[in-house]
Amino acid sequence: MKSSNIAIKVENMTKSFKLFYDKPNTLKERLVFWNRKKADTRTVLDNINIEIKKGDTVALIGTNGSGKSTLLKLMTKIIYPTFGKITVNGKLTSLLELGAGFHPDFTGRENIYFNSSIFGLTAAEIDKRVDKIIEFSELEEFIDSPVRTYSSGMYMRLAFSIAINVDADILLIDEILAVGDQHFQEKCYKKLQQLKDNKKTIVIVSHSLDSVKKLCDRAIWLYDGKIKMDGNTSEVIEEYLKKCG
Amino acid sequence: MLKNLYQYRQLLKSNVQKEIRGKYKGSFLGVLWSFVNPLLQVLVYALVFPFIMKNTQENYVVFLIIGILPWTWFVTSISQGTSCILANAGIIKKVYFPREILPISVVTSGLVNFLISCIIIVIFLLLSGIGFSINLIFIPIIIIIQYILSLGILLITSSINVYIRDAEYIINFLVNMLFYATPILYSPEIFVNTPINFIFKLNPLSVIITAYRDIFFYKTLPDFLSLFVVFILSLLILFIGILIFRKLEKGFAEEV
Repeated sequence: MKSSNIAIKVENMTKSFKLFYDKPNTLKERLVFWNRKKADTRTVLDNINIEIKKGDTVALIGTNGSGKSTLLKLMTKIIYPTFGKITVNGKLTSLLELGAGFHPDFTGRENIYFNSSIFGLTAAEIDKRVDKIIEFSELEEFIDSPVRTYSSGMYMRLAFSIAINVDADILLIDEILAVGDQHFQEKCYKKLQQLKDNKKTIVIVSHSLDSVKKLCDRAIWLYDGKIKMDGNTSEVIEEYLKKCG
Repeated sequence: MLKNLYQYRQLLKSNVQKEIRGKYKGSFLGVLWSFVNPLLQVLVYALVFPFIMKNTQENYVVFLIIGILPWTWFVTSISQGTSCILANAGIIKKVYFPREILPISVVTSGLVNFLISCIIIVIFLLLSGIGFSINLIFIPIIIIIQYILSLGILLITSSINVYIRDAEYIINFLVNMLFYATPILYSPEIFVNTPINFIFKLNPLSVIITAYRDIFFYKTLPDFLSLFVVFILSLLILFIGILIFRKLEKGFAEEV
């Protein structure tokens, strides 16, 4: 019973990357430089323990290079922990970068189909959503033009509209909302608020602390690969600003 | 794993479509190239080989086509597929999806091409007066075996290629060698009493191509015992392939 309340569980998780000065990619390099000093490792996340309950909205804050995005990537299973483990309960969608997997020569509509299928939707499920996605993105006029002709704002609107219409239980969002204009940003936060009311789990990396304060109930402050503080959003942000401001 | 793949079936479908349509995008003949290419290849061999070797094979062109079309499926799967993980670095780094989808869609789009190009085989069988036999019902078995074998090999080569980029070139060389060690241009009978005959016994592709030819060309039953051995071998390779791929896929996003 207890574990079914948990959406994401991170246990004693450590992630380190190898730092190669000149990474051997070919057989020749491997053979010639076989005795070269082993690459340094850099620990990006150090012994992290997090439990995120279903329905939580959590903000990850911290300075650049503190490991926020790496943590999101680990949760999506794009990369894997060096030690420890991460368990995810429920369907998870992530929005780590604008239009990841968009094909520039395909039209907006074709990309909706392609991108949604990357998120694991079937054709019938996409058919049902396609109008909603187009409407939310406000790209009706341009939806049948190739996305290489889109501006970065339009790109983002399409990508965001697809991701939030997947109906995942867990939504991971990296700092991307900054691209849209005021009007669209507000619309996105309204939609996120709506998802929150529907008991969806949201984890968001953001530097716009004001929006985070409005949306999230909980904030985790990462500093140098460790959790510096974890708790009520406004308290954590206050401490964070004291330290950085 | 299978459940996960089933959930992502739409991605597999659109990836196969992208693979087939995208490949010839912008070219004048488009998808027709998948027919024209092997036909041109056949043309070259049919013109050249009878002169070099004293070829007494009847209906040599049909004989060639039946060998070359399945070979084309195999060779495009392996030699182009080996780089499929690297070629999709963009989405691998940013989105989660079962990585197996990529090699599977390479082999599957090759299969679709092969099935379409079977029309060529049918046309030539009709034109040459060879015709068809009831044994055609066994063709799907051979196709399934070839699919399993290709996918198994590709899972291994595509994942290793992420870590050792030379794999691509080594594979291309090996595949080239294999072309001559497989009875595509010639009939294996001409080597029966020579010391190199064992090559055809050990080469699974040789068994597969011979089986296609037995059914289409000679209208006989294939050698089921050899096919069964190749089937078991292919399953084994697929199994090893899945193990290696599973092990290596965790580092894909960091290495590509």
